[in-house]
Amino acid sequence: MKFGGKLFIGLTIFYFLVTAVYWYMTQEVIGTTVLALTGGLAFLIGFYTLFTSNRVGALPEDVELARISDIDPDYGFFSPHSWTPFAIGLATWLFILGFAFARWLMVLGTLALIGAVAALLFEYYRGEFVK
Amino acid sequence: MAILDKPVSSAGDFAPTKKGRTVIKWITSTDHKVIGNLYMITSFVYFMIAGLLALGVRAELAKPGLQFFSNEQYNQMFTMHGTLMLFLFATSLFAGFANAIMPLQIGSPDVSFPRLNMISYWLYFFGGLTVIMGFITPGGAAGFGWFAYAPLSNVINSPNVGSDLWILGLAMSGMASILGAVNFITTIFTMRAPGMTMFRMPIFTWNVLLTSILVLMVFPVLAAAMLMLESDRKYGTQVFATENGGAILWQHLFWFFGHPEVYVLALPFFGIASEILPVFSRKPIFGYKGLVFATIAIAALSISVWAHHMYVTGAVNLPFFAFMTMLIAVPTGVKFFNWIGTMWRGSVTFETPMLWTIGFLATFLFGGLTGVMLAAPPIDFHVSDTYFVVAHFHYVLFGTVVFAMFAGFYFWWPKLTGYMLNEKLGKLHFWLVFFSFHVTFLVQHWLGVEGMPRRYADYLVSDGFTVLNAISTAGSLVLGLSTFVYFWNLYITHTRTEKVTVDDPWGWGASLEWATSCPPPRHNFVSIPPIRSERPAFDLHHAEANDLSVEARKEIADYVSGKGH
Amino acid sequence: MEPVKSKVKRRRLGLGLTAISSAVLLASCSSETEWGRIGMPEPATKEAPRILSLWQGAWVASMLVGVLVWALLIWAIVKYRRKSTDTGIPEQTKYHVPLEIMYTIVPLIMILALFWFTARDQKILTQNPGDQTHSVNVEGWRWSWAFNYLEEGAYDVGTAGERPTLWLPVDEKVKFILTSPDVLHSFWIPAFLTKMDIVPGQTNEFTVTPNKLGVFPGKCAELCGVDHSRMIFDVKVVTRAEYDAHIAELKAKGQGGVIDTGRVVEAGE
Repeated sequence: MKFGGKLFIGLTIFYFLVTAVYWYMTQEVIGTTVLALTGGLAFLIGFYTLFTSNRVGALPEDVELARISDIDPDYGFFSPHSWTPFAIGLATWLFILGFAFARWLMVLGTLALIGAVAALLFEYYRGEFVK
Repeated sequence: MAILDKPVSSAGDFAPTKKGRTVIKWITSTDHKVIGNLYMITSFVYFMIAGLLALGVRAELAKPGLQFFSNEQYNQMFTMHGTLMLFLFATSLFAGFANAIMPLQIGSPDVSFPRLNMISYWLYFFGGLTVIMGFITPGGAAGFGWFAYAPLSNVINSPNVGSDLWILGLAMSGMASILGAVNFITTIFTMRAPGMTMFRMPIFTWNVLLTSILVLMVFPVLAAAMLMLESDRKYGTQVFATENGGAILWQHLFWFFGHPEVYVLALPFFGIASEILPVFSRKPIFGYKGLVFATIAIAALSISVWAHHMYVTGAVNLPFFAFMTMLIAVPTGVKFFNWIGTMWRGSVTFETPMLWTIGFLATFLFGGLTGVMLAAPPIDFHVSDTYFVVAHFHYVLFGTVVFAMFAGFYFWWPKLTGYMLNEKLGKLHFWLVFFSFHVTFLVQHWLGVEGMPRRYADYLVSDGFTVLNAISTAGSLVLGLSTFVYFWNLYITHTRTEKVTVDDPWGWGASLEWATSCPPPRHNFVSIPPIRSERPAFDLHHAEANDLSVEARKEIADYVSGKGH
Repeated sequence: MEPVKSKVKRRRLGLGLTAISSAVLLASCSSETEWGRIGMPEPATKEAPRILSLWQGAWVASMLVGVLVWALLIWAIVKYRRKSTDTGIPEQTKYHVPLEIMYTIVPLIMILALFWFTARDQKILTQNPGDQTHSVNVEGWRWSWAFNYLEEGAYDVGTAGERPTLWLPVDEKVKFILTSPDVLHSFWIPAFLTKMDIVPGQTNEFTVTPNKLGVFPGKCAELCGVDHSRMIFDVKVVTRAEYDAHIAELKAKGQGGVIDTGRVVEAGE
């Protein structure tokens, strides 16, 4: 993950360099702004990735001589199947159709979206998953 | 479709499922392989719809005079052809291949966020539906070209609701791409198998990573521009008003997204080529590190070239953009030579995937060369917005996306479904497409230079464009018909062929997906071989030929005997 | 190892073919024929031949690169084909740093050369020195054209159904001032080998000197809506006398002054 962070920081430096050259050569506001913001976004992601990689330390995947068994056997929880993505898609669809056609559809879509996102977040905190 | 009837997992559960149950299984799936299949099927449907629209365009242009469509309908046809092809076919095909293949290549059981993965799919599905819904509204679909230039796309000049649906649908499926990119990057950063260091990842996975980074950088700009445009249309904001320089503002924002978008489209398919060439040349990919750095260079540079689409507006700095655009040809050339270098002194066979990949190389080369010409403003002043540009981008886009798509399909079909596609039909399919593609698009270069602008529904007899247009239309008909060969192949494969029983039916697979069954079990691997190079499956299956250390060879031998293979 | 004689023979054949094809290529670069101009119309202004020669040069360079790379591809396909009698695997070469450096540097040099020529030409082509004899305010609007002959004080206008004709005197420098009251259009005269967009909210200009008599088609080259393909015009380059006569004719028809579609441009701008 460290390499990934460095990749993003490398991109950040490149984008800010291009921003500077672009501004110097053109004094054009729009392009300079978007380039600078892109550099900013790359920095955000790069900084977060580096920060996380420092916290997490070396992962077995980055060790050249790692054995498959080195990985933590408790890999994590994978959702087996779920209706919530479909619900979120449908709700978002209602929302944007509302944008195009009628405001009440937007309201309906927003409510549906809130419900669907809640379902997504709490899906594995109910029933047999209650700890 | 026959493929929907087959159980998704191969590892032992075989209660026959009714069609309804299968549909539910697919709608609620969180398995990256199923989601990848969904993306690939849906994007192929859009490919066919957009192809039909193109046939309509070509039918209209075969002779002077309006024979089949009105000007309005024609504008909608080419607008939607471009939109469907670029956004709803090619960008989502990237998501399809990335989903289906990348986790297998890095040895992970799934992506980092399986439900988010499915959310991306559904956002894409409904967003795409919204875009295409425009056709059934009274005012028709959007007709302002896939770049939606302001002020043509404002509410005065394009009042139909189809335009609003276009804008909103794209904002929604743009969201899907962004979330997908987040998922892919996280998966690649955090879920590789032990020993799979960054520089042992397959080139396809590298390209997925870099494409996702590009998506993350530029799709928000598109989404923002779309929402601002819609706000102008619905709420009377004046962001893109011409008095405020709105026309040029839109172009800057759109092309800042638009140019990296074409690299988003190209890079994954370059990755597919990089996977197929080593397998059928029986040699490693040539210049692995060079390829990685070249791809990083392309991704980085692509953000700084956008205004080469704006040379003729008189509003951009020509030297800056001409230089950066020409510069991008260099890493692209490096990749090209690396690909040839992979075949060089190899032992090459020409199964269908390899045929398609060579077709990609031959076609993309020409498109790349015309691209360098277009990078020069004085040349662009003449040929901008003409059929020369149309020919150029079809050579690079069709040459890359479609040829490499079919290469990837034929290559990974056994891995994804457990069946091998028929070789003879595959070769027929390739040659039909290859010849008809060139007949259709080669002449368009000449048309553009002679004086035919793009997006023209009609032309005068006195223009002298008729013969070349007729040739182009003839080619496009054959191109359209070639799809039936492919469908016939799918049909006989899934109804009459034997299932594949080995992990690697091609024999020389290098990356990790060829070390698991065809198709893989629900969480991809029952066991993973030791990863000691960028070719783990090759090291495993061709132990006599790998160049590993003594310890690594012992590890692999232990793995083989332990598994009893 | 193949016999030396056939290797020498093949090399001679290769060189011979290269020589012949280069000769053919360079010979056909004569700008008299459409092939020689690689599709471009015959240049009709003093500035246009510069664009034409950049185009021809770019094609020669591209074709040399293209033929080389296609040849490498075909060679790889033919020479390294796995025969049915082959077993085992080839040498597993993974990289070759000097070669990779070479094919990074050489293309870099080539594009630097292309850039040099491009930068030189675009500087010359985009200048507006201000010493033009005539200025025409070209108004593009959905879906036809108006031509305001500013010095002469006359105008002409067309419709989508009946395209207008822009009259220009031969060998006299003219500056086009491009304006639009509605959406983006583009003012393209293929025979002039150049176009420029008409951007609403902005005034674009370019200067040329037509040097060939004749009638040349002109087309709008930026999608502007339903009748985009009907937004065409003609350019008629005539002698000065004919030009003056035409202006007088326009004035007699009542088309003196300036047609105002919402944007005012002064002569000599």
